[in-house]
Amino acid sequence: MLIQLKGGRVIDPVHNRDAVGDLFVEDGRIVAKLEGRKADEVYDVGGKIVMAGAIDVHSHIAGTNVTLGRQLMPELPALAAAEGQPILASPAAWGSYATGIRYAEMGYTTVIEPAMIPTHAIEAQAELAAIPIIDTAGLVILGNDDYTLELLRGGRAGGDELKDYVAWTLQHSKAMGLKIINAGGSEAFKFNARTFDLDDEVLDYGVSSRAIVESLQKAVADLGVPHPPHVHCNNLGIAGNVETAVATIEATQGLPIHFAHIQFYGYGDAGEKGFSSGAPRLMEAVNKHKNATVDVGQVMFGQTVTISGDILRQFDGRAAASPKKWVINQGDGNGTGVVPYNYRSKSFVNALQWAIGLEIFLMAEDPWRVLFSTDHPNGALFIRYPEIFHLLMDRGERDRWLDDLPKDVREVSNLAGIARELTLSELAIITRGAPARLLGLTDRGHLGPGAVADIAVYTEQKNKTAMFAAADLVFKSGKLVVRDGKVVRVTWGRCYHVKPGFDTQIKRRVNAFYDRYYGADPSWFGVSDAMTRPDRFATIPNLS
Amino acid sequence: MKSALERAADLLGRARFPVIGGLFTDIRGAEAALALAERLGGVVDHAASTGLMRASRVMRETGATPASFGEVRNRADTVVVVGQGPLRRDADLLAKLLPAKPGLPRPGDNKRETILLGTGKVALPKQVRTTAVESKLSLPEMVALLAASVREGRFDLRDKALRVKIEAAAERLRKSAFAVFVYDPAELEEPVLHTVLEIVRHLVVTTRAAILSVAAPGNGDGVNLCSTWTCGLPVRTSFARAVPENDVWLYETGRLIESGEADALVWIDALDGTAPARPKGAPAVVLSSKPGRAGKDDVVIDVGCAVVDHDAALYLAPISGIGMVKAANANDSKPSVAAVLNEIAKVLDAKDAA
Repeated sequence: MLIQLKGGRVIDPVHNRDAVGDLFVEDGRIVAKLEGRKADEVYDVGGKIVMAGAIDVHSHIAGTNVTLGRQLMPELPALAAAEGQPILASPAAWGSYATGIRYAEMGYTTVIEPAMIPTHAIEAQAELAAIPIIDTAGLVILGNDDYTLELLRGGRAGGDELKDYVAWTLQHSKAMGLKIINAGGSEAFKFNARTFDLDDEVLDYGVSSRAIVESLQKAVADLGVPHPPHVHCNNLGIAGNVETAVATIEATQGLPIHFAHIQFYGYGDAGEKGFSSGAPRLMEAVNKHKNATVDVGQVMFGQTVTISGDILRQFDGRAAASPKKWVINQGDGNGTGVVPYNYRSKSFVNALQWAIGLEIFLMAEDPWRVLFSTDHPNGALFIRYPEIFHLLMDRGERDRWLDDLPKDVREVSNLAGIARELTLSELAIITRGAPARLLGLTDRGHLGPGAVADIAVYTEQKNKTAMFAAADLVFKSGKLVVRDGKVVRVTWGRCYHVKPGFDTQIKRRVNAFYDRYYGADPSWFGVSDAMTRPDRFATIPNLS
Repeated sequence: MKSALERAADLLGRARFPVIGGLFTDIRGAEAALALAERLGGVVDHAASTGLMRASRVMRETGATPASFGEVRNRADTVVVVGQGPLRRDADLLAKLLPAKPGLPRPGDNKRETILLGTGKVALPKQVRTTAVESKLSLPEMVALLAASVREGRFDLRDKALRVKIEAAAERLRKSAFAVFVYDPAELEEPVLHTVLEIVRHLVVTTRAAILSVAAPGNGDGVNLCSTWTCGLPVRTSFARAVPENDVWLYETGRLIESGEADALVWIDALDGTAPARPKGAPAVVLSSKPGRAGKDDVVIDVGCAVVDHDAALYLAPISGIGMVKAANANDSKPSVAAVLNEIAKVLDAKDAA
């Protein structure tokens, strides 16, 4: 069946397209205009904005850690709704099903879960499979696990065995890439460390955070995995940590690397309160190092819950829990901390965090390397994205928000002086084109022939919050799934993963390791095609 | 004559408020049960949910400080077994948690040791150094005394011998590099669980400490996690209203059947091992992998046994999470719980459409 979207303003920065025209869809893909054929179904989208479906590179939507958050905070949606956040006051509103529905309504069609625990990949994949409509993928965590650390003991490089182990882990969990969270820091926490810097060493293993990241970065590059290591740096959330972030960026050897939620590292220590915007310093480094990409991790005011494999940081953050309860889960590898948090507009620190995030977006010279995220739910629930798009695209809106914040925020941030407003094309880059490119999902994020027909249609309006909260139409793989901001058809998406090769000797070694130290059989946490729907899993080819 | 699936669908289609209980099943069975409960506006509960419910309420009120089985096995220097539950559930638990072979690098240089608090007489592996704290006092009292002593607070205790033991245990805990309390939440009431957590929260200010809650039988933890990611709430949840509701007392299977509030039961028992006791008093659809006697109003459907007849995802203690176990002799002569529940839902859909 040939579908025609007629007369919309098509915004596709991948193809430098921003013009009124038609789009054609057949068999779930975008096709070139077929001369002499009449469309079977025509949607008149005259006056509307037509974009590719949005892609979220970093959103905690599934797995043990997220469900631990749900166990601690079933009241989260009710608390958020009571403050006016656009969410139903039901515990189910942050369950798997509602996650897919709400994302689709906003025009999102692919979302990446960035923190799968290797030994809990079965749960993560089962949860991802329970999310309707959107395509998903998971990043698997290494860097605080004893197998990796043993290979790097005393400054060894890890060599082929590390490469094999990374490849085996990616395949075993059906992940699309590697996540590194406070490399070595969680392991140090097991030895009762309460801080961990880039050049601190993990006790007993004698390996630094820097060395862990470098070794894993090299392994991923050698394996040809399209998505570079996805790194959560040390010292998250601490005043003055911009120096750590810059040092980490400078240590990246020119190899591809992605830094997650860098807003949380954009902190200087100037000013009376010893807390200031480090965004200019951070963005100078980001702008200069073209091998690096980042996502922002924007903060929004209101109730949320922070969920992180950075257990050391979460342990420290427990004192600020609101409501006053927290979970520190000392699990294998990284472990997890879950700390409820309410970002308050009257708080100097929270208001500055909010401003720093926006500064980072607006200081980016190359939007292809500065991607959108709130680190859902850590900076804000993903339902807040439309408000953030509004802030990025409308200086007046930013000024209105700034007026409500503590006055001294203006003194230590640069936001008030930034006139830039993102264009629709730039928004399409940071939410579509750039994420697809970063993830190696070349069949989406754009509207060229051959792309998966993931399409979002919006009504252009001054109020960008309203515009992006409810898409007029959303097509997922060529099927109409949303009309007038509501899901009209529930489909089930695919899960993307990589399949790098490895020497099969690694299996024997890993089996022996788990047998001895855990009394466990790694086959228990191996994800197979059979565990879910047929055709659920799709492979992303390695880089040649 | 109608098929069992049709009779099951008839029974459930007529029911005003059905409960899906037992739930001794794998993750796919749990997913299907949750979907059916949502569709019917019924309740989901698990036959071993008593401990899960206590733990989940305590978690919602104040949080938790769990450690994984692997972390305890490799790194704990002090393992406190609280009550009789853990070693009754698994007599070899201490041998698994404190194996003779050295584990991964661990903090501190203490010799590994276990403290038995009200466990009664138990057989212990040779390699484990043990301090047993026994008394005529109740377990909650002993836990409270230990909590006070860990904080170096004052407490009244005439039994001198017990005081010495409690104080020695508290001293050891303060000096531990990683102390872990092992318990079965089905044995401890909520205030006791809170007290243990408070000890851990006190210790972690200066050192490392955690709890290890023994997993519930019948894949209870797996079913409970599945319920949580599906609807945001643990089991004992009702889907009768627009928003799911969890209530430990209100939505317990036995009470719902006994009181007559639930007018139909779906009883699921499809795992190897001891069968949970099924509450009687409502017409039931029974999905069982074991032979049993059926009541005259029951619809009994033979199903395969997870792990025995088919591969299954279940909560596995050694990885403190859900894993996939292959069936040694897989056979598809009997359908899985998930397949039967999904078929019942299809029959209901067809009836609705007709």
